[in-house]
Amino acid sequence: MKRLLLSLLLASPLLLHAQGSQVNTQSQKAVGMAGAGSALFIDETSIFYNPGALVKMDHNAVQVGASAVMYRSAFREAGSNQVHDTKFQISPPFGAYATFGPKNAWWKAGIGVYTPFGGGVDWGKEWPGRFSLTHLSMRAIYIQPTLSFKITEQFSVGGGFVYNIGLVDLGRALPVFYPDGSAGQATLKGTGTGMGYNLGVHYNLEDQFAISLSYRSKVVTKLKDGDATFEVPGSLAANFPNGKFDAELPLPSTFNVGISFPLSEKVDAAMDASFINYDIYKELVFDYANNTPVLQDTRSAKKYQNAFSGKVGVNYDVNDKLALRAGVGYVYTPVQGKYVYPETPDNNRAMAAGGVTYAFSPKWEMSAAYVFQHILARTTTNAETQLRGTYQTNIHAPGISVSYKW
Amino acid sequence: MKKNFKYYIGLAILGIVSSCKPELETKTFSKGSADFSSFIAVGNSLTSGFADGGLYLEGQQVAFPNLMAAQMKAVGGGEFTSPFFSVEQANGSGYIRLVSLKDGNPVTEPVTDKVAVRGANPAGKPLYTKFTNPIQNLGVPGMRLDMAFAPGIGTVMGNPYFERLLPDNTPATLTYQAYAAGHAHTFFSFWLGNNDVLGYATNGAVSTIDVNGVPVEDPTKALISLPVFTNLYTKFIESLTLKQEKGVVATVPDVTAVPFFNTVTTARLSAAIQAGSQGKAKDVYIKTKTTVRAATDKDLFPLTFNTAMLMQGVGTSPLNPVPDKDVLDADEVKLVAQRVVDINKEIKRIAASKSLAVADVYTFLNKVKTGYVYNGILISSAFITGNAFSLDGIHLTPMGNAIVANLFIDAINKTYSSSLPKVDISLYRGVKYPN
Repeated sequence: MKRLLLSLLLASPLLLHAQGSQVNTQSQKAVGMAGAGSALFIDETSIFYNPGALVKMDHNAVQVGASAVMYRSAFREAGSNQVHDTKFQISPPFGAYATFGPKNAWWKAGIGVYTPFGGGVDWGKEWPGRFSLTHLSMRAIYIQPTLSFKITEQFSVGGGFVYNIGLVDLGRALPVFYPDGSAGQATLKGTGTGMGYNLGVHYNLEDQFAISLSYRSKVVTKLKDGDATFEVPGSLAANFPNGKFDAELPLPSTFNVGISFPLSEKVDAAMDASFINYDIYKELVFDYANNTPVLQDTRSAKKYQNAFSGKVGVNYDVNDKLALRAGVGYVYTPVQGKYVYPETPDNNRAMAAGGVTYAFSPKWEMSAAYVFQHILARTTTNAETQLRGTYQTNIHAPGISVSYKW
Repeated sequence: MKKNFKYYIGLAILGIVSSCKPELETKTFSKGSADFSSFIAVGNSLTSGFADGGLYLEGQQVAFPNLMAAQMKAVGGGEFTSPFFSVEQANGSGYIRLVSLKDGNPVTEPVTDKVAVRGANPAGKPLYTKFTNPIQNLGVPGMRLDMAFAPGIGTVMGNPYFERLLPDNTPATLTYQAYAAGHAHTFFSFWLGNNDVLGYATNGAVSTIDVNGVPVEDPTKALISLPVFTNLYTKFIESLTLKQEKGVVATVPDVTAVPFFNTVTTARLSAAIQAGSQGKAKDVYIKTKTTVRAATDKDLFPLTFNTAMLMQGVGTSPLNPVPDKDVLDADEVKLVAQRVVDINKEIKRIAASKSLAVADVYTFLNKVKTGYVYNGILISSAFITGNAFSLDGIHLTPMGNAIVANLFIDAINKTYSSSLPKVDISLYRGVKYPN
């Protein structure tokens, strides 16, 4: 009769929302300038950076590219002498773009498939925050058919429809212990979809000065019927039924302003500022299909704030074939101190980048870039889990792309 | 040139991979004004690593002083040896484990294999395999402050956990206090006094046991008086600080802060009576020192309460109340709680007089009684699900030991301006659930 309600608290399994994922790698040219260049570069990646600029391409092209994002975080619990590193892993965001349409016409069409959000961390099962997160990989794949129109020779507009496929796989330890002393584990895997749009206008003065305005809408991604799997001791299995879950993940809208202007005959400068409306990410709710007294739907406060990033870069056309570029940037984090989770131990970050484009022939072109981002060390106490300590993160993202023009 | 190019690429890749890892600045840890080179732990079952109603190897290995000693290594701590049971006799005294959950109710069974029982004393009580090498964890289950000064406690008729630590030719007059003070040390932890109150409380505030129908005074069930406590505590601390050694002492937790007294509640018993009588009865009748009455939520029942008694009618009518020793009634709770408060006041006063650190377990447990979240784990004084207390409802789980170790470390760091690194609590388990 020791009547006990085993009110085990299964705190919310968290889903990432990754500012950490906004390693914008859609164009290796822009990556080489730390993300600047939406006004400067007019090519097939304009589908992402500014659909309004697409029509100014005087040719058609296809491009494929990928980056190797290495997101490495370290954590030290307050008062501890142990530093815990995430396991080395590479997440490969990719982009593929193609344009269609008559040359020098008043319109151009294109399609882009790219990953504007995504990333992965694996903290392992023996770190102080394992009851918050053991691993996470997450990716949003945007598919964007696009149309772009010239209003005048200088002024053009464009827009695209965005269909998002979101994939997520995350795990956390559960504070219920097997006879061998090891902890239980929850794993949530799911796929969701969402829709949005991407609009842009582009204006240029001769070949001198250009300005780009673009707006990418929010994309609310709904995860339906994801799989929740619980590994717990047999005596608790009935309390943690494997089953389905639903969740909703709002990916924020972004307003971007870019300008570019020549510094000399061969050197152009570009500046971009992005305003990311992260404040739509207020909380994360998990709705389990099979609730039990210990497995309740969960609500986890995120309270993101709007974020801002500024990027500056220069492009040097060495000759007809070779271009070199470099850039720096700074990103203000949307994550407030109390809401830093190990999924994205975010803080303000500084970026430095370099890149190169080489045209093997008039048809074939290759671009490569490397961006390094340093997320400043941050000491926080999480409001939900009370995990207290210091995070620091470095991101390295080398990337390469190949274009074929005709 | 081409070769060089490859070389540079190789270097670049090496550079990338190695600089990939962020470097958090390394902390420097300091021993402050304390010297941890020779640390001894003096105390009772909590110090020994007793858990789940027994002393066994797994519990010994994560005893809070052992976790502290491991952290002390970062600031000059020396060897710390405990009287571990061997792997072959890893289950030591035996203990209880959870075998199933029946409708959410725990079912336990004793573990009786691989025990370290070497025989029995003339009274038939078990004696355990000896460990007579030099040790630093001097924790002895069952040890009381008053008993620490009693001769004979180290004999086969005394405390078997103390007896197992002593060589065969030890004089019967050796007291635990003299034994502990005889260990050279530069730093000590001292946590005694719990059993001086708890023994009385867990026996329903009855200081006797029943021997063939006759109540006989049992020194393990006595409630220590405040003057005796103050006198003996002062003496013991003085004997450990003869050379101005530094140390940390701990307060005694409130009896209501442990699952042993907050799990089997009046409400739960009443619900059982209602269910058993098809709703005709609901009161639980108890015998107090002065009267017989219906129990309220102020009366506490032990975790070991034999619920089968209710089925036999005990407690269901004023004519057949729950015996005095099976309930800590409201007045007794008050008496014991007040004694704990008084004792803790003395502990803090005596510690202050010797400039010792105080790990205030009393305040901590009262604060976390209703639960707090630590690194995503809910920790509370709830039985089993609270993660901190083992299946006996009094002693700590490995996680509980880690929490207490950090409490001690915080107190030490505060008092001696040291910076002992904290224990990673999340690495230690709570209660094990059966598969």
